[in-house]
Amino acid sequence: MEKFNIAGIEINKVSFFGLFFNKTMLLAYVLLAFGIFGIYEIILERYFLLTANAFDAGLHQGSRDVALAMREAIFGPGGEVKRESPWTLYIVNYMYMIYTGSGIIFLVTLAELANLEILKKTAAGFLTLGLAMVFGGLFTIMFDLNMLNMQWMLITPNIGSGMWLMLPLYLIYIPFVMFEIYLLLTDNKELVKKIAFVILFIGIGIDIAEYYIQAKLFDMNTARHLWTTYPILPLYFILSSFLAATGVMILYSYIAYKDQLKSDFELLLKTLRRLALIFIILVASYEAVAFLFIDKKWATVILFEGFAYQFYLYALFSIALPFLFMILQLIQRKINTAFMLLASLSIIIGSFMERYIFVYGGNAYPMSDRFGTGFQKYSEYDVISSFIHITPPVSEICIVIGSFGVVIAAYKILDSLFSVSKVREH
Amino acid sequence: MNFAMALDYQSCINCKACEVACKEENGVQLGADKQRIWVGQTEKSIFGNPFVNYYPSQCNHCIDAPCVDVCPTQASYFNDGGLVIVDKDKCILCKGCMEACPYDARYVDDKYVAVDKCTFCYDTRISQGEVTTACQATCPTKVRLFGDLDDEEGDLVQLLKKRKFFVLKETEGTVPKLFYLFPEDQHFAINSIGEDTTIHTWDSFKPLIDEATSKRSKQWKNLI
Repeated sequence: MEKFNIAGIEINKVSFFGLFFNKTMLLAYVLLAFGIFGIYEIILERYFLLTANAFDAGLHQGSRDVALAMREAIFGPGGEVKRESPWTLYIVNYMYMIYTGSGIIFLVTLAELANLEILKKTAAGFLTLGLAMVFGGLFTIMFDLNMLNMQWMLITPNIGSGMWLMLPLYLIYIPFVMFEIYLLLTDNKELVKKIAFVILFIGIGIDIAEYYIQAKLFDMNTARHLWTTYPILPLYFILSSFLAATGVMILYSYIAYKDQLKSDFELLLKTLRRLALIFIILVASYEAVAFLFIDKKWATVILFEGFAYQFYLYALFSIALPFLFMILQLIQRKINTAFMLLASLSIIIGSFMERYIFVYGGNAYPMSDRFGTGFQKYSEYDVISSFIHITPPVSEICIVIGSFGVVIAAYKILDSLFSVSKVREH
Repeated sequence: MNFAMALDYQSCINCKACEVACKEENGVQLGADKQRIWVGQTEKSIFGNPFVNYYPSQCNHCIDAPCVDVCPTQASYFNDGGLVIVDKDKCILCKGCMEACPYDARYVDDKYVAVDKCTFCYDTRISQGEVTTACQATCPTKVRLFGDLDDEEGDLVQLLKKRKFFVLKETEGTVPKLFYLFPEDQHFAINSIGEDTTIHTWDSFKPLIDEATSKRSKQWKNLI
């Protein structure tokens, strides 16, 4: 294929149709179509929902819009999130995408430092996949926020807030990862030799800072004891992200490297299998210890009450099944493709469920138990329950599906232009 | 000034006049979940006899409010008198403050696409010279009493000196400023207050107020 060379990077001369109309992009478009539907729904609900207050009711008597707004207030879904459960599927998916993507990036950076040759050869592809997942996470969170007021993040910043720290974090993180990918792709070997180690150490510093800020975001919510009593939350985020990352990396390896690596492919899988096993054991041990420290009100809801079903499914998918599939292969003393793929898919599903339990679980114990006498209800006709769980609306589910389209599209475009998935010696 | 409120919750009859008055006075969005103030209720059965508690509540205007700390744009801030206020124009709807609030006191106002909460009627009444909030003014059983904690001779401090009281979720360390008066009826008290609740006198709680106020009062702004 004909190529351009800009700043030491070879760029494939690919046609418009070749870039945007191929099988992978079509899959991305199908997923993005769900996302666009979700965006349409959320914009409609957020900016065009008929709402009214007492002033409207008094000033515009007889108005059909006010009548419809009052009808919506009584019989409608009640606008955006409920006060009992402010962070929902958006945050779940944001966490899943960003943490897993960062996990891949962090893991590959550490592999470079540890001189794991097989992961060094495939680093560009993995880093690009990680970056694409970060984009997917940011896509999700973009539609959770009211973007029309985002200028206030710059005009009146609260620099101590975990939420605000996300802004400088990703303004630094994303260009930095891009630069790392640049170094992997460039033919300017002199530059790479000079700064590779410095970049590697800075990269690790930024990765650790990222997980620290993510943990701060949750830890500042002092009333949500699930989040504040998780011991060493940044470490938990790092370990669980590494596990989630190995799940995605195994699946990606089959798609990108099976034919390219040939005999080395088994080595790549063995390396990923070893990493997955280590992180399964670490995460399982961590969870077992963590629930000794987590506030008993939250721990009870998650382990024995409303979230027990989800929690044990998470344990099954994220820990038990992949562990079994990995151990069976070790007994067979060979790589078993079916077991590897099943383990990978199981980890992917399980780690998504883990984020779901973490976010919804934080909301699970009712803040409305203000007097210490139990869950309060707001209306005579409500049913008193012992925990909170609110099913995500269709718009959120669609945006989450769309975010997977963003990941695929971002990765595929970058791969078409820069051949990031090509195995490189360096 | 350090605005606060005492609630004689035993007198609440769940007429919800306070909820209506709040919506009317402050232009709160219509809808069951869209409330700045509310009357929560719990039910239990004691040897087959039903017992229902009514808990009138709203934002506690905590002196050490976590919702202010988590807000990325300073849309949530301390106003004059230690009131916790939301500037809706600055709200990016991250909902971090809703997660940080130990009392579920905040909700999303769909009309302004921003988080909203009780202001103790500061903008609509108190800054205009009124001395009561709408919810206090309308209550038929005089549950609420709004006042200034710095005014030792004022009705609020005098009441708190006379009656024992408790605050909600004291262990969260936010030093809330809704003071629930300990019921005069012991049977009612036993059935409506959790076992872990600390019952205070003015002398036992005043040092907590002073400590939290000295920590946070530098952040109080006078914007109106």
